[in-house]
Amino acid sequence: MADTPKVNLTIEGRPISVPPGTNLIEAAKQAGVLIPHYCYHPGLPVAGVCRMCLVEVEKAPKLAPACATAVAEGQVVHVHSEKARDARKGVLEMLLINHPLDCPICDQSGECELQDYTYQEGRADSRYREPKRFNPVEDFGGDVLYVPNRCILCTRCVRFMGDVAHDEVLNVSERGDRAFIGKFEGKDLTHAWAANVVDLCPVGALLSKDFLNKARAWELDRTASVCTGCSQGCNIIVETRDNVVMRFRPRSNESVNQFFMCDEGRLGYREFNRPTRLEVPSILGPKGHEAVDWDVALEAAARLLRGKRAYVVASPDTSNETLHLLGRLMRKSNGVGLYRVPQGPEAPLPGAPDLALRVDRAANGRGAEALGFTRSDTPFSGLKAGDALILVDQDVTGADLAAVGQASAVIVLASWMPAGLPRAEVVLPIATTVEEEGTLTNLRGRVQRFMQAKAAPGLARPSWFVASDLLGATGESAAYFTAGDVFAAMSAAHEAFAGLSYDTLGMRGLPIAGAMAGATA
Amino acid sequence: MAITVKVVDRPIEETSYVRATLSGLANTLKHLLDPHRVTTEYPDEREAISRRWRGTHRMLTTEDGKAKCVACGLCPTVCPANCIKLVPGEDEQGNRYPLVFEIDEFRCIFCGYCQEVCPEEAIHLGRHYENSEFNREAFVYDLERLMAQTHPVTELWDPADPKGE
Repeated sequence: MADTPKVNLTIEGRPISVPPGTNLIEAAKQAGVLIPHYCYHPGLPVAGVCRMCLVEVEKAPKLAPACATAVAEGQVVHVHSEKARDARKGVLEMLLINHPLDCPICDQSGECELQDYTYQEGRADSRYREPKRFNPVEDFGGDVLYVPNRCILCTRCVRFMGDVAHDEVLNVSERGDRAFIGKFEGKDLTHAWAANVVDLCPVGALLSKDFLNKARAWELDRTASVCTGCSQGCNIIVETRDNVVMRFRPRSNESVNQFFMCDEGRLGYREFNRPTRLEVPSILGPKGHEAVDWDVALEAAARLLRGKRAYVVASPDTSNETLHLLGRLMRKSNGVGLYRVPQGPEAPLPGAPDLALRVDRAANGRGAEALGFTRSDTPFSGLKAGDALILVDQDVTGADLAAVGQASAVIVLASWMPAGLPRAEVVLPIATTVEEEGTLTNLRGRVQRFMQAKAAPGLARPSWFVASDLLGATGESAAYFTAGDVFAAMSAAHEAFAGLSYDTLGMRGLPIAGAMAGATA
Repeated sequence: MAITVKVVDRPIEETSYVRATLSGLANTLKHLLDPHRVTTEYPDEREAISRRWRGTHRMLTTEDGKAKCVACGLCPTVCPANCIKLVPGEDEQGNRYPLVFEIDEFRCIFCGYCQEVCPEEAIHLGRHYENSEFNREAFVYDLERLMAQTHPVTELWDPADPKGE
């Protein structure tokens, strides 16, 4: 869109040209200048209530709120002029009048915008000597706790529930200095996307009950990843401490999830902390399962696969890379590859285009399909006598396992031993999604990368690594050193992934060939 | 090569030990009679230690006997020796408090940062130096032990001159 007219202006002495209609906060962001703000959020309608984003615009009589001021040709904006700083200092002092300053016990401490801006440009002390207002903590239902004393009434939560979730639950009750965020009579924050208000809250007024008092913001290590809760593939940040996943938070991606993620996905972090992980490879010996070296286990698996038809049942949460290698294993023996997608009710976020908690509760069904796997609700029914069954991270609860007895052998690649599986000749421990690198393809065909957030326990190895070793043990050439190598091989072998690489995917992903980019369901 | 020793013939007043012995005895006698003493008779006597002495920790308590600590996590963050273990929790009244608070006094370098950073003035270093134990484990002080300590606490700066001017 090169012919779109642009508006030229100067912010903090930096010339910039942006499309007309852009507000000053966004324009400044592009110029590399952060204008302090509370009520403004790119995913919400502009309210202009916090007065924190006041900036000086030359030739304008008064300071202008940057969130509600559109750019104009030739405008000269001063963000850090004395007049603007002075105004914001006053705003901060007012916001802090009734703020309890209980940062030591506040969960937001360390990621609090009130803390940051006060530190940056606020007053060192308060001139307010009267007793502070006090309101008790309120349970907002769902996963959300409201601490009214800390609230600065930016109304981001009210606007999210009203304009994005289309479920009017929150309002600003009372007026003036008595104002607080209230719930409408008989309503609760039970919307499937309600916990986003916790992320949106710039201060510690809205807190997650699940995360309450669990960790401090500065102790967490953050890694870019993709949610495996459903086929939407929301971009997330995995936050870990001491090799334990503490929480998931949304990572913004305009093409997928904007700034949000659903509550179910948010609590999906618990999956990755389940105990009783498989930590060592084992083979079935005369005295039951024995722990063995990787070489021995892979050799045993290759022996069991020799001359047999490979019958692969893979979890649709498995990465594209692993599925590609398993696909090679399966085609080598004219085998079949199947996946079963768990289902759940759909929960859309009406205010965001094409964003919902999808019916398909698996992250990579589309990728499995593109890589030659077949979807089936009864993945074991086609198992013929003498087939070698390869189970990849597949949960077998509720599945009809009668046919498993006919298999010549069962080889399991899993992070947790599938409960209820009657037999397994070789068990190979693999890393989970948060412990390895790879890509997932969401329901619109967007291929997105996820990164390793923590170390895998024991001798467990990344699933693509195990799959390539298994392929190597059967005599194929499969010498890959990184997940990126596997991806390169996959894009060379599959039309759908042609032209893609880790470099071109970046952190926001790209659609596969043939995917209708931006199509709505 | 044969070793040759040069023998110097000195007069008797230079080589006699009598004078040196008498002078030493006189010195001893002088100190025996002199009332000024240098030795402190520890443990019957103790030297006064500085108000800024930094010894093993103490956790101060509120009037109702609970630790002042709110488990904000600043001391384990600031600790350069990484010797503080803290697990936060919540009591029945919804107050944040430390479920586990342990200081490994062997790892501690007694820098006093924990006391300086504490927003609640809960953790303090102590003006105290008698810490012997019979095993190493006993040097990991848990919350109960830190609260049970009674020795005076360190003044990291002079309250009359907080900026040290």
